[in-house]
Amino acid sequence: MTDITVPTGLWNDSDEAAISAWLYADGDTVTEGAIIAEIMVEKSSFELTAPASGTLHIAVAAETPVTAGEIVGRID
Amino acid sequence: MSSPETIAAPRPTRRLTIARAIAEAIGQEMERDPAVLVMGEDIGKLGGVFGTTTGLLDKFGAERVRDTPISETAFIGAAVGLAASGMRPIVELMFVDFFGVCMDAIYNLAAKQSYFSGGQVACPMVLMTSVGGGYGDAGQHSQTLYATFGHLPGLKIVIPSTAHDAKGLMLAAIRDPNPVIFMYHKALQGMGWLGTVQRSITDAPEGDYAVPLGKAAVVRKGSDITLVGLGLSVHHALDAAARLEKQGRSAEVIDLRSIAPLDRETVRASVRKTGRLLVVDDDYMSYGVGAEIIASVCEAGILLRAPPCRIAHPDIPVPFTPVMEHFVLPDADKVSAAAITMLEP
Repeated sequence: MTDITVPTGLWNDSDEAAISAWLYADGDTVTEGAIIAEIMVEKSSFELTAPASGTLHIAVAAETPVTAGEIVGRID
Repeated sequence: MSSPETIAAPRPTRRLTIARAIAEAIGQEMERDPAVLVMGEDIGKLGGVFGTTTGLLDKFGAERVRDTPISETAFIGAAVGLAASGMRPIVELMFVDFFGVCMDAIYNLAAKQSYFSGGQVACPMVLMTSVGGGYGDAGQHSQTLYATFGHLPGLKIVIPSTAHDAKGLMLAAIRDPNPVIFMYHKALQGMGWLGTVQRSITDAPEGDYAVPLGKAAVVRKGSDITLVGLGLSVHHALDAAARLEKQGRSAEVIDLRSIAPLDRETVRASVRKTGRLLVVDDDYMSYGVGAEIIASVCEAGILLRAPPCRIAHPDIPVPFTPVMEHFVLPDADKVSAAAITMLEP
């Protein structure tokens, strides 16, 4: 099991970040390195890549605010 | 002996938003063809308010990815001139609602350039623009205006419903010698603050391919009724078709993908089979896409088993208040309710 963590140091901690879209659905099979979600910060977009290959479990839905370092899902 | 094609490993799939698909298509064409350049408001450093030019400034520099002032008249007019002199400009009109100040460049200059010059001066430009509401942005930022542009000869009009089609249509649009209006629906862009239809996030080949301009797609096969949509309304139709299936009714769904040229034959072939036609459109109703599709079917003398029907935005400005806006905008509930009425014996 590998946690999916919001990257740190890409934007100012005070800026509001949110997952704009999950590119895969809960339960989908994903490959390590694939772009699995996009995070929007102040109208700029950042990519979230799969840290491992396996089944995606989404813990934080799209359009929800997130903070750097937060766990938003896992891959089994 | 097997040919190399038959033994090639399957291409790994991936997922893209329509925004990424558009940016990828533009980037690939800029790499292939030095005549391609992009201009618009906030398309450089920001990468486009709707993500359509993400990463292009870093890759191609400020000469070819030009942030402009808020001056649609100037930069869209400039694009027509650039196109006449051999460049292939892509310009972004941030919201289609802003067409008023620059319409002369679009419909009197771009759309007529080839015709007025006897075909000697083409106008290979793409005007990409965001359309649609549903997120409380009021009447000057929520229109689709498909029919307003579709009515004018000399323009091609495309509207993708998925990332796959967005990339293929953009590649085809940039290469086309005519001005192409590329309308992308905000609710499908994958920008969190606008909501996103998950079905619009699809796989798309990393390499080169084109979705032909002017060819509709049958995106769901069915036999009892034909639902026709474009952009976001394709997804309303698909959602409605899934509900109808649970009631034992089979709906065919057509994604127009382009309204100029309009693929009347694909619609007619479907309605010849189903005998029922429901058009779903989020533009204003009167003189709109729905009327054109219904007329195309009726003119062909196709026998219908129920009167044809259109769902569209009523002929009022798009309301700001969310309750009012969603009351008037098409959705899957309205589509399935109308379809059920048409399917009653």
